[in-house]
Amino acid sequence: MSTVSDQVALQQDARRTTKKETSSDLMRTQRIWGWIFLSPWIIGILAFTVIPIVASLGFSFTNFELNKPDQVEFVGLANYVKLFNDPLVGVAIKVTLRFAALALPLAIILPIALAALLNNKNLKAKRIFRTLFYMPFIVPVVSAVYIWGGMLNSQTGWFNRALAIIGVNGPNWLDSQVWIYPALVIIGLWGLGNSYLITLAAMQAVPTELYEAATVDGAGAFGRFRHVTFPMISPVVFYNLVLAVIGLFRYFEIPFVLKGSEGFPGQSTWFFNIHFFRTTFGFLDMGYGSTLAWLLFAMTMAATLILFRTARYWVFYSSGEMF
Amino acid sequence: MSKNVYRIVPLMLIIVVLLGALPAFAQEPVTITWFVGLGTGAAPEQQDAQIAVVDRFNETHDDIQLEVIFVTNDEAPQTLATLIATGESPDIIGPVGFAGTNAFLDNLLDLQPFVDATGYDLSQFDTSIVDFNRVSQQGLVGLPFALFPSFLYYRPALFEEAGLEMPPTAHGEPYILDGEEVPWDVNTLTEIAKRLTVDANGFDATEEEFDPESIVQWGFVNQWTNMRQNATMFGPGSLYEDNGDGTFTAVMPDNWRMAYNWVYDAIWKDHFYPNAAQEASDLLANGNAFASGNVAIAQSHLWYTCCLGDDTEWQIAPTPSYEGTTTARLHADTFRILNTSDNPEEAFEVLTFLVGDASRELLQVYGGMPARPDQRDQFFADLDARFTQGVNWDIAIASLQFVDIPSHEEWLPNNNEAFTRLQSFWSFIQSEPGLDINAEIDNLLADLDAIYNAAE
Repeated sequence: MSTVSDQVALQQDARRTTKKETSSDLMRTQRIWGWIFLSPWIIGILAFTVIPIVASLGFSFTNFELNKPDQVEFVGLANYVKLFNDPLVGVAIKVTLRFAALALPLAIILPIALAALLNNKNLKAKRIFRTLFYMPFIVPVVSAVYIWGGMLNSQTGWFNRALAIIGVNGPNWLDSQVWIYPALVIIGLWGLGNSYLITLAAMQAVPTELYEAATVDGAGAFGRFRHVTFPMISPVVFYNLVLAVIGLFRYFEIPFVLKGSEGFPGQSTWFFNIHFFRTTFGFLDMGYGSTLAWLLFAMTMAATLILFRTARYWVFYSSGEMF
Repeated sequence: MSKNVYRIVPLMLIIVVLLGALPAFAQEPVTITWFVGLGTGAAPEQQDAQIAVVDRFNETHDDIQLEVIFVTNDEAPQTLATLIATGESPDIIGPVGFAGTNAFLDNLLDLQPFVDATGYDLSQFDTSIVDFNRVSQQGLVGLPFALFPSFLYYRPALFEEAGLEMPPTAHGEPYILDGEEVPWDVNTLTEIAKRLTVDANGFDATEEEFDPESIVQWGFVNQWTNMRQNATMFGPGSLYEDNGDGTFTAVMPDNWRMAYNWVYDAIWKDHFYPNAAQEASDLLANGNAFASGNVAIAQSHLWYTCCLGDDTEWQIAPTPSYEGTTTARLHADTFRILNTSDNPEEAFEVLTFLVGDASRELLQVYGGMPARPDQRDQFFADLDARFTQGVNWDIAIASLQFVDIPSHEEWLPNNNEAFTRLQSFWSFIQSEPGLDINAEIDNLLADLDAIYNAAE
């Protein structure tokens, strides 16, 4: 026989169970809807990122050529061995490093210099200058490269015409195996708008009392930059450096639009990514092309990890964060 | 009533079943897919005429349904390769020459068995043009369709200005240089090209005062060329030898080595041939050098009429000989059947329609000279209506007697990679002065050896 209190307890239990079930149902429904809303992104990343990455790893162990799908065979590590015997890999790495030696310092120093200049309190019409320096960044790469191609033509381009006015015989920018690199750097400088802008933002965030304290301690302009500005913006410089290094490994659009995918003049624009593109989509060699893609990934990852290892020696995080 | 129902219902059911089964007895038309884009044909203004040809075929054929796919030229090889890889391979590709199909040579069907089985008459074409479509590995990979012979385009006004006689009007005729008859050969071309090269001060390339830094008019250019095209004036050649054991050796024929020495000197020593920067400049119409009006002579193919606009200030002349032999390289576009086709017989029927009944409309769209001699008069009449200066097209037709065999577009081992290396060599010599050209050729051969034999 149940007492009244037992009945009340039972009713409370039943209510609790119902509430729990309702709550659980609601959570399940929410969870399902959550997955439904996430599904376009999940399907997208699976279809266009995860599966191709896994597939490319699989392809790299085969001799898959796009126009000979019925002759695909597992070739083990043959494609990875070929990396060491392929003279074009050596050419591509040399070309990429040669360009990096010229472009990387400028890609880091120029945004800092530009940001410092545009952050200078004595500069008039700052907003106009900031806009002007940022504007080229929003010009589509292909259009910009075509325009630069005309400007840098050694015969009829404005660059050499301007140099001629001051009595300088301009070089053969686009068709010399030496001068093509400065030409690519000049074209690339147009894309600095973004890195200069975030460097400028970082500079503006440096507390003014640090400058006042440094001035009181007798620091000059260079001292203030070295001991205050640079350490405070070093995380942004580091960020720019990592992006620039990754960008150099995957450098493609400008040489491709300017000189095609054949590395002209000679093989001087046979960048690693051009080699990858040409092998995969020109030579239709998907197997070896996938191997090149994985080598590119390994090189980029290694360079990034090295940079992160060095960061502890020169990147200053005011909040004490460190990688 | 009920008796009737028992009779009518089964009868109706039988009728329904029979009606439903009828389509199964009627034969479904076979679909043949035609892929356009590896060569000419995919430009928007070219598509309507080809669609009309497809419609005409479909109206007259119940058993075959023809479908056409247009893909822009720069994307066509990758698209075709992807279609093949995914099992969606088209049946017919073209129009396309050998340069456009070398990457797919293994995918081409030998047409000879179909020619034999259907009794298709190959005698309507010149034997040399039929043989041009035979490839040692695959057999007959195309039926003659559109021809683009090569010759020289020249500007009479610039010859007059330089006080030079006009070039000969037939192969084998001599040239009159300074009042003397001389052979129309590479040496004569070199001499007149120098005289036709002029700097900003009006000095030509034979004069001491000539300034190579300020050239405003060039004597000669090989219009939109590549490395092997450049050499064919010196005779045909091949850049590999098959060792018969699956390996290949890179070779440079002596006449081609001579050709590269000649062209290198023409660019950097005699200056009558524009270098890469000059050719890409506004002065030479960013590469369309002859059309700029600032080049006196250009070697090119009949297809170059595409790109002369309404310019009528030019004429054509025979290709000069080298050591007594004339070689006029040939481009020949046609349609090809892929060996992945599920319906090769129907595809062959479509192919014969394209190169036969539909050829007149299609040749007008593609701008090619008909492979059938009886269609040529109309073709040249159409060209004359456009170029009213009165061009001696007999020179173009006669060039077919001097075709380069092996073709400068022949397949190479590891073709795409080898071709890219050749292109970079051509770009190199057109861009870099001061090279030891023979040493560079040797470097090229070493690279080609490696590339050829990396092809498994």
